[in-house]
Amino acid sequence: MLKEIFLFELSYRKKRAAHYIYFFIIFLLCYFAVASPIVSIGGAVGQIKPNAPYVIAQMTLIMSFALMMITSAIMGVAIVRDFDHNTEAILFSTPMKKIHYLLGRFGGSFIVLILVYSGIWLGLMTGFAIGKFMPWEVDWKTKEILPFNAWTYFQPFLYYTVSNLFIMGSLFFMAGALGRKSIVIYTQGIILLILYSIADSFLADVEWKETAALLDPFGSQTFEYVTRYWTPAEKNTQLLPLEGVMLYNRLIWLSVGVGALVVTYYGFSFNVVRNSLLRKKPTPLTRDLPKSTDVSIPKSVQVINSVTYIKQLIKLSVFYFKTVIKEIPFIAILLTGMLLLIVEAFSMNKIYGTSSYPTTYSVVNLLDGFTLFFLIIAIFYSGELVWKERSVNFNLILDAMPMPSFVALLSKFFGLVFIYVGMLFILILCGVTIQASYGYFKFELPIYFESLYTSTLSFLMLYTLLAFFIQVLVNNKFLGFALCIVFFIIRGVLGELGLEHNLWRFASGNLGTFSDMNVYGHFVTPFSWFKLYWFALSMLLFVVAVVFSVRGSEAVMKMRWKTGKLRLNRSVLIFAFAVAAVFLFSGFYIYYNTTVVNKFVKSDDREDQQEQYELKLKKYEFLPQPRIVETKLKVDIYPYDRDFIAEGYYWLKNKTSNPIPEIHVQQSADEQISIDYLKFSKEAKVKQTFENFKYYIYELSTPLAPGDSIRMNFKTTFNTRGFEQGGSNTNVVFNGTFFNNQYFPSLGYNSDFELSDDDERKKRKLKEKERMMERNDSRGTAQNLLGDDADRIRFEMEMSTSGDQIAIAPGYLQKEWKKDGRNYFSYKMDAPMLNFYSMVSAKYAVKRDTWNDINLEIYYHAGHEYNLDKMMTGIKDALAYYSKNFSPYQYRQVRIMEFPRYATFAQSFANTIPFSEGIGFIAKVDDPEKDIDYVYYVTAHEVAHQWWAHQVAEAGVKGNAMLSESMSQYSALMVLKHKFTPEILEKYLKYELDTYLGGRAFERKKEQPLEFVEGQGYIHYNKASLVFFALQDYIGEDSVNAAFRRYNATWKFKDAPYPTSADLLKEIKKVTPDSLKYIIHDMFETITMFENKTTEATYKELAKDNFEVTLKVSAEKMRADSTGLESPIAINDWIDIGVYGKNKAGKDSLLYLKKHKINQKENTFTIQVKSKPKRGGIDPLHKLIDRHSDDNSKGLTKIDLAKKN
Amino acid sequence: MQLIIQDLNKTYSNGVQALKDVTLTINQGMFGLLGPNGAGKSSLMRTIATLQEADSGSIQLGDIDVLKQKEEVRKTLGYLPQEFGVYPKVDAITLLDHLAVLKGLVNKSERKQVVEALLQKTNLWAARTKNLGGYSGGMKQRFGIAQALLANPRLIIVDEPTAGLDPAERNRFLNLLSELGENTIVILSTHIVEDVKELCTDMAIINKGQVLYKGGPLDAIAEVKGRVWSKRIAKVDLDEYRKNFNIISERLIAGRPEITVLSEAQPDASFIQQAADLEDVYFSQIFNSTKETANV
Repeated sequence: MLKEIFLFELSYRKKRAAHYIYFFIIFLLCYFAVASPIVSIGGAVGQIKPNAPYVIAQMTLIMSFALMMITSAIMGVAIVRDFDHNTEAILFSTPMKKIHYLLGRFGGSFIVLILVYSGIWLGLMTGFAIGKFMPWEVDWKTKEILPFNAWTYFQPFLYYTVSNLFIMGSLFFMAGALGRKSIVIYTQGIILLILYSIADSFLADVEWKETAALLDPFGSQTFEYVTRYWTPAEKNTQLLPLEGVMLYNRLIWLSVGVGALVVTYYGFSFNVVRNSLLRKKPTPLTRDLPKSTDVSIPKSVQVINSVTYIKQLIKLSVFYFKTVIKEIPFIAILLTGMLLLIVEAFSMNKIYGTSSYPTTYSVVNLLDGFTLFFLIIAIFYSGELVWKERSVNFNLILDAMPMPSFVALLSKFFGLVFIYVGMLFILILCGVTIQASYGYFKFELPIYFESLYTSTLSFLMLYTLLAFFIQVLVNNKFLGFALCIVFFIIRGVLGELGLEHNLWRFASGNLGTFSDMNVYGHFVTPFSWFKLYWFALSMLLFVVAVVFSVRGSEAVMKMRWKTGKLRLNRSVLIFAFAVAAVFLFSGFYIYYNTTVVNKFVKSDDREDQQEQYELKLKKYEFLPQPRIVETKLKVDIYPYDRDFIAEGYYWLKNKTSNPIPEIHVQQSADEQISIDYLKFSKEAKVKQTFENFKYYIYELSTPLAPGDSIRMNFKTTFNTRGFEQGGSNTNVVFNGTFFNNQYFPSLGYNSDFELSDDDERKKRKLKEKERMMERNDSRGTAQNLLGDDADRIRFEMEMSTSGDQIAIAPGYLQKEWKKDGRNYFSYKMDAPMLNFYSMVSAKYAVKRDTWNDINLEIYYHAGHEYNLDKMMTGIKDALAYYSKNFSPYQYRQVRIMEFPRYATFAQSFANTIPFSEGIGFIAKVDDPEKDIDYVYYVTAHEVAHQWWAHQVAEAGVKGNAMLSESMSQYSALMVLKHKFTPEILEKYLKYELDTYLGGRAFERKKEQPLEFVEGQGYIHYNKASLVFFALQDYIGEDSVNAAFRRYNATWKFKDAPYPTSADLLKEIKKVTPDSLKYIIHDMFETITMFENKTTEATYKELAKDNFEVTLKVSAEKMRADSTGLESPIAINDWIDIGVYGKNKAGKDSLLYLKKHKINQKENTFTIQVKSKPKRGGIDPLHKLIDRHSDDNSKGLTKIDLAKKN
Repeated sequence: MQLIIQDLNKTYSNGVQALKDVTLTINQGMFGLLGPNGAGKSSLMRTIATLQEADSGSIQLGDIDVLKQKEEVRKTLGYLPQEFGVYPKVDAITLLDHLAVLKGLVNKSERKQVVEALLQKTNLWAARTKNLGGYSGGMKQRFGIAQALLANPRLIIVDEPTAGLDPAERNRFLNLLSELGENTIVILSTHIVEDVKELCTDMAIINKGQVLYKGGPLDAIAEVKGRVWSKRIAKVDLDEYRKNFNIISERLIAGRPEITVLSEAQPDASFIQQAADLEDVYFSQIFNSTKETANV
């Protein structure tokens, strides 16, 4: 019997066209993902080969769950089919065994499912086999790909796709069999997706990664987790092994799958009428007697006019609203959504595991992550409501009612709008609850309402209108769903198709980033226009939908048009023309603002321009130019117009030994910048202009003699007109302007404007670009980290801004006055500084303090007082440590000023530190014993730059960031070390290790050793923290400080030539004993990894207060090349061996920690300690870089001595 | 007021011609539309009820052009489709009140009275707060008529209302219909001859989209009066009789076939004359039309 049912299922499915369509969808998606730029599923960048096993595994895995619709359609209907077609009564009365029926149906469907999904590997294989010969652009056409290996495709398919299909398949099968309704199946799908998202949000936090990896039903987060440290070399060679966390994840979820089948078996019953779990069976109604036929029906007055229409509209809207909220699937979606919100709230805004105050905007941000779920609800319930009457067969009654067709459709729309409004309200309540649970009671309700009821609600409404249009026109519910999804996907790839302007992107326009300082800023205007535009279009579509909506039994398009024409009465036509007019007008207005008033450049055109810049002007890159030695400017900021005017001069000096005949001026390429004038104090004329690149060559009548100077006067205006289509300038804003001198003229060719992406360069036949000059390049050492425009400059600036704001530039405030309702400030620096200055203007509150006669000031947004004390202490502690250990502080003030969270960094200018509101001002450090106080840390890091950049400026060559960034990391780390517990430091380093290992996994070009770092943040920040911490552990903090001090003394305030990493390493080597010199090679000059592990850990109690610990540890040492390919090297290293236990005070502490020389892989140590030991191992504090740092130490097991006797 | 249907034609996209030159004049009172399954009754009724388009022809209700002024028709229309469902999770009184608003009964207290009266009239009062999902077929059907009677319609179309009802339910239902005012056009479609016989003053027989007969039931009976003969025969002889006689209907009585034949004279001595019934009219009409088509 089983066999018959199974075979019947197969042959039934064989005849269904849908399965072939599913197969081709999957096949084509995979094929195009490989062999076209339009579809993208994961994919390879940089050093990773297009057909690397990692890439194929990733695509295979993503495809196995991204099209869950297909899985649910195939598996869900296996049983539901019988209920939908009302064949259940016939079938279930046959003498068939339940187990045979269920297993046969499941087995048959599952085989079909696997066959359908074989489109994955077939598509990928075909893609790589013939993709090269496609007439269109394929990313990897010019690249070399790995030779074909079938197992690369089958392994992930067999291990991960088939298991996913089984898991989802059995769940959908269960939902179908027990729920007997399609909607139950979809709901379950949505819940699975939410679970996936929850896992995703957990994955963000180091502490929770493993949980996340186990939790994800699709194994996708598990994949991310397992491969998170894979280097490009490994990604190119390794298959994803089924072991460890991945194995556990699969076992857990496979057993869930098996469990679902078991539940199906026991829960399924052949009874056609069943006792539902959720609903009470309707009580049989008592038969009523025919007696009241003598009741007469009162006369009623029928009123049909526009007031009636409104009443009908309201009545129906409320009715549909009630219908949807009673739906169990809707409630389920909403509840899981709320669950997701709560889970996400745990990891909200966490930096180094430390949370932030749950400000309203961050909660609103969380809700933005719900877009997909909102979209599902909108699309799904639009379809359900459009089909509502037809699905219960009530349509003919309703259609014959005397109400206009627009009322019928519009009420469904309003019903959904009520749902959305209610749903958002519930989410707001959740948000407020989350805030309260954090002990945060500044509920800014207006912000909730302003963003959710504008941006989110309009998004939902627009998609609902669109979904109505699609549903009505295609007049097939499932095709309608599919088209909505296709539409959404196409919308995502419009850019690839060359339609980059937001006028093409349905429902585009967003409120931008909210900032406490600048609130919604200038985003409101474009947002409103774009929404107007899309609403007008959607309403037009809605009118079309009303005209074509099916009323009665006619479904043929021709007939619908015939009926529809009758609905086009005067008011409908007027409305249609009105919205069409609004659509056109707003479209033109947006077009005018975004492409006529402002410039809209497509990314391809921008790249063309970058290419041209390089081709035409690269020859001038090293043309000798004078250097700026003095800058005096008057900068007037008009924050509420988002304009500024800068006028003044540079003094340029010829520091070379030859006369300079030409001065090359590179103006800012920013479209909003215009040059009012640029004049030299000596006679000069424009020799050549490159208007495209804003590059101008001036020829001096008499060349500038060596040692001579010339004054360059200029006036530059930054002008904001109209609005732009995308994210517009966020530097010059209403409140919280922060920009630097990049808007002002600079000298000569700027290689930063070149195309940097090697793939893109290859396409354009440009040479691969080196990220920086070699360390010993004399042209590089002749300029500092900020370029070749200047060494140090004398600086003076007069600033003005609106009457309610304070404007700040580097230097000391000389004078402050008011004129014409505007505030004026004059700043002057008393010693030459780097050619790098910030201009800031905002409404500020100020906190002041002093440290040893140095003025400390924090300019902050009123309301952001939370961490001012921490910052202040950070400044003081940092100044104290650095002054004592490196050199005296060179200025008389330190100022921190808050700027809006459009960017989240802090940056150190001379005695001036702009600091983003997003990274410290709202940090919530609850417990200094547990939370990393990153506010304090970042402050200390930025203050350190006053030494490492501003006192000693390094050369602009490879390895430069090791001197500014890494040295600041070390300096701040030492301040941290003296302030907080070792546990905090250990936790901090754990994050640094994770970020470093994760960063190198995504290296696009080549991983460099620290001494040659080329702008790679994961190296010069994260690896550097680990390296310098270990260094001071090995050779001593004092020694490192001594080396820093000497380096500082040698290079402080010097002009070219500038120091390189070799100069610092020289000093470090001087303070390192010979026995440890190898660590410098390991840490700075190479990429060295360890694989340390404790294999056995036991202890014996020899006597009271005398314990003997035995540790078996293995240690391996590897060198990695720039792709991450590792080769083992002999180990001969000093490595910590440590034992933890409780000390006398009962706290966990290290009972033993000592470096041992380890020169072989397997080692055994016997250690005696005085308290009861708990854990022990090798390198327990993770000082060395180890990809599996969790296995370094192990809990100790006790061996009983007594038993022997 | 009269409902005048002229030369109505409708062919579905699958090629089936549902209505062929249908021309009917329907006066106030009960009008029966008789025909077998698939005759085009529902198509005709849906077209009158503004829910379907005609390819050609016209329908006029008083001064209203039914095919164009759909809104006007709907104002005076009460329609009970042949098959309909309900929102299962809504109770009767709520849904009826809801539909009353859609019918334009905007005065709240007046609406309440109408809704309550209709529920009593249709004997649903006791079950008014029960969800419609739990209603039996007859109750649902009565709910259907209740909604069709909202707002004193002047044109009521009930499509096969008695199909699937047990005899008691059916009686009750027909009683209800018979009470409808004289100022109303009630069109009742059915394939059950009894329904028409008991209720209608006027009728039409329709098959394969064509009107075969129009007139009063009594006139119709008069037409066949004295021409109806029947005989009980053995099963084995059935084919023989089919060949030789114009059998308009055959049925089993206690397991043996009884055939009915339409003939001016007694076909042979073994036939017994029967009192003419509407059913015989119906069968003879259907029989003739089928034969005609077969001959074509």
